[in-house]
Amino acid sequence: MKDKLLLNIIHRPELMPEYSINSTGESNIKKVISESLDIFKFQQECAHKNGLKTTIQMTYASLFNDEAIQLAKEHHEKYGDEIALSLLGLPCKQFKEKYKTDDFCIWMFSKEDKMAIVDDVFALFYQKFGFYPSSTGSYFLDSFTINYIKEKYPSVICAIATCWEEGPKAYRTCNNSWYTFFDGGPWNPWIPSKINSHCPAVNELDDAGIVAVPHLSRDLLACFDGNGSNFGTHPQNVIRGMIYYDNKYPYLFNLIDQYYHLRKYNEGYSYNMMFVGPGWLNKKGRWEAPYELLAKSYEDVMLYYGNLKKENKLVDQTMEEFAKYYRLIKKYKTPEVALWKDILYGSNKQYFWYIDPSFRFCLDFNQGGAMIDLRPYVAKIPQEVGIGTKNVYDASYPYLVQANYRAGFFTHYAGEGTIKSCRIHYKNESVDLCLTRTMAKYQKVDDCTIVESDVVDIVLAGLVIKIKSTFKVYEGKPEIITIRSIENDLNGEEIIIEEYINAGFGTTEYQSDLSNVVLGIGDETINYSYKDRSIASEENFSPYAIIPDVNTKITLIGDTHCHLAKAKEGIAFSPLFTLSIKKKLKKGYLETCLNLQKAN
Amino acid sequence: MSQSTKGKLNYRCPSCFIRDIDIDLFYDADQEEFYCLRCSFHGDENRVLQLNEQAKFRYGLINKRILSFNEDNDALEVEIYKGK
Repeated sequence: MKDKLLLNIIHRPELMPEYSINSTGESNIKKVISESLDIFKFQQECAHKNGLKTTIQMTYASLFNDEAIQLAKEHHEKYGDEIALSLLGLPCKQFKEKYKTDDFCIWMFSKEDKMAIVDDVFALFYQKFGFYPSSTGSYFLDSFTINYIKEKYPSVICAIATCWEEGPKAYRTCNNSWYTFFDGGPWNPWIPSKINSHCPAVNELDDAGIVAVPHLSRDLLACFDGNGSNFGTHPQNVIRGMIYYDNKYPYLFNLIDQYYHLRKYNEGYSYNMMFVGPGWLNKKGRWEAPYELLAKSYEDVMLYYGNLKKENKLVDQTMEEFAKYYRLIKKYKTPEVALWKDILYGSNKQYFWYIDPSFRFCLDFNQGGAMIDLRPYVAKIPQEVGIGTKNVYDASYPYLVQANYRAGFFTHYAGEGTIKSCRIHYKNESVDLCLTRTMAKYQKVDDCTIVESDVVDIVLAGLVIKIKSTFKVYEGKPEIITIRSIENDLNGEEIIIEEYINAGFGTTEYQSDLSNVVLGIGDETINYSYKDRSIASEENFSPYAIIPDVNTKITLIGDTHCHLAKAKEGIAFSPLFTLSIKKKLKKGYLETCLNLQKAN
Repeated sequence: MSQSTKGKLNYRCPSCFIRDIDIDLFYDADQEEFYCLRCSFHGDENRVLQLNEQAKFRYGLINKRILSFNEDNDALEVEIYKGK
C-alpha cells in the first residue's frame, strides 16, 4: 500500500442531528428520524456506487432504531463496511431522560458520567450486534476516556480523537458559542500517549493502545489562520467557506491531492479522512447553500475518491483495517511531516509541519523559516478535561509559540510576539529574517529530517549578505537544530547573527500569569516579574527558561564560537520571555539547538 | 410590528463572514430587509448575494486546478478548472 492514499470514510446514522434537536417538536420527531436516515442512506449509496467501503459509526440514538441497525448489518455483509460505535450523536430522547442534560460532548462530562455513558453505549451496541466494536470516536477524545475504553473494551483499536486546530478560531467563527477547544494536536493519524491524547506515544509503555485518527483532513495552511471549519475534506465545510463558483469547487480536489502528495515526505504513506454528519446534508439546505448543491458536492467528492481508486492511487479502508496497517508501518519515533503549499489563496506561502513524541512545530518560509507554532509534547502535560477538572471545556494542548494568537514578528507600537527567528546585524543596521520570503526543500538522511531554505539576500549598510537557513531534527531527540550560514564572500566585513526565541505559554490568545517562569544561564536566574530584566553571558551559551505551568524547560544552545547569550523577561504590555544567542562572524555559520525537556 | 424571522434560505451576515464570523441574518418583514444582530449590516437579498460573491476575493485559486506540486521550492503549476 506504499504510495497509495489511504482513505477512511465514516458515516453515522445520527437520527436526531444537532441542528434540529432543539427545534423539533414531539410531533416532528418521527419525520426528522426518517429524514436523517435518508441522509445516511444517501451517503452510503454515494460511497458504494463508487466502489468505496465505509465505517458506519452507530450513534446512541441509532441503536434504538431497528432500521438503522438492519442497514448497518446489510452493508457490512454486502460491502464490507465496518460497524463501529460513535460517541457523537448522543442527544436523543432516551439519553436526555437518562442523563438529564443537554451536554453532548463526551470529553466535557465528569469522569463518572464518561464511564457511565461509555458503558451504556457499548453495552447497547453489544446487545444489538453481539460483539464489541473495533473503532469508536468523537470530535475529541481525552486520555481518561481513551484509557477507560481501552481497559473495559480492549477490542477497540482505532478512534477519531481530534479535529485539527479546532480551538479559539472555531469558537470565534461560531459567534463565541461553540466550545470545542482542542488545538495543538496532530493533523494525521497517530498513536496517542496514555497521559495526554494529543501527544504521540513515546514507547510501548506510553501507548494508549489505539490508533487515533483526526476528524477530517484539514488544510495545514488555511486552518492555521482562518476558520478551520471551512478548509477540510468535508464538502459542505468548503461550501460553508464559500470556496466555490458556479457550483464548482476544485479546491476540494486540490486539498485531497495535496494530502496524497504528502507521501513524498512520509516514506510513501499518505492518508485522508472524510466524515460528514447528516446535518450537513439537510434537505432544507445549510445557510445559503440549497440541498442540491450540498448533495452534488458529496457525490462529486465520492466520485473523485472512486476514480483515484480506479487509477490505483487510493486504497479505501475501514478504520479497523487502517489501524492494523498503521501499526505495521509506524514506529513510535517516526515523525509525521508536511511541507505544505498554499492551494487556496494563490500565494507562494509554504509551511513545514513536524510532529513526533517530542514536539509539534511549524516553520513559515514566507517568513524566512520562522517558527510560528511550537507545542512541547515532551512535557506530556497530564491535562484533564471535563466537569470536575480545571479545564471544563478547554482541551487544547498548550503552545510555547503561536504567532497568530500571540503575534509574531509584527506588533503594534511596542513589545514583541511569540516567534523563533533570526536577526542579522551589521554596523548600526539590522534585519529580521521574518522579512525574507522564501521556500524550502525537504530531505531525509538516515534518521535526520532536514529542511533547507532557498538563499535569501539581506542588504545592510550597502553590504549584501546571502543567508541560508537549515533545520534538522534527529528522530527521538527533543531538539531542533538551526544553522544560519553565510553563502557569499563578505570581503572581510564582520556581521552578527542573532538567533532568538520569544515564547510564552497558553491555549488561547491571552497570556496567563508568567510569575512561575524562571529564566537562567548557568546558576544565575531571574524569577519572572515583568521588569524587563535580563541575564547575559559571554561564556555560557545555553540560556534557558523553566515554565512550570506547562512542565517544560526550554534551552537555546549556541555553538562554541558564540559571543553572547541572553535570557530576558518581558513587561506587562509584552508578556513573554526571550532567549537569544549572538555570534560575530565574517564567514561560516551559526548553529543553535532548541532543546525541550520535561520539567516537573 | 411583528417579530423578525429567518428567510427561506438561512443567510449569514456577509459583513461578519469576512471577519470569520458565521452569524445568521434575521428578516424584518416591515423594512423588507435582512439585518445582523451583531454588527450593523442590513440589506435585501440581492445585496447579501452580491456581498457573498465579493467575500470570495481572497481565494485566489478558487477556480484553479493544481496540475503539479512541482519541486518543493517551486511554485504550483495550475490551470483554470475545466470540470463541471
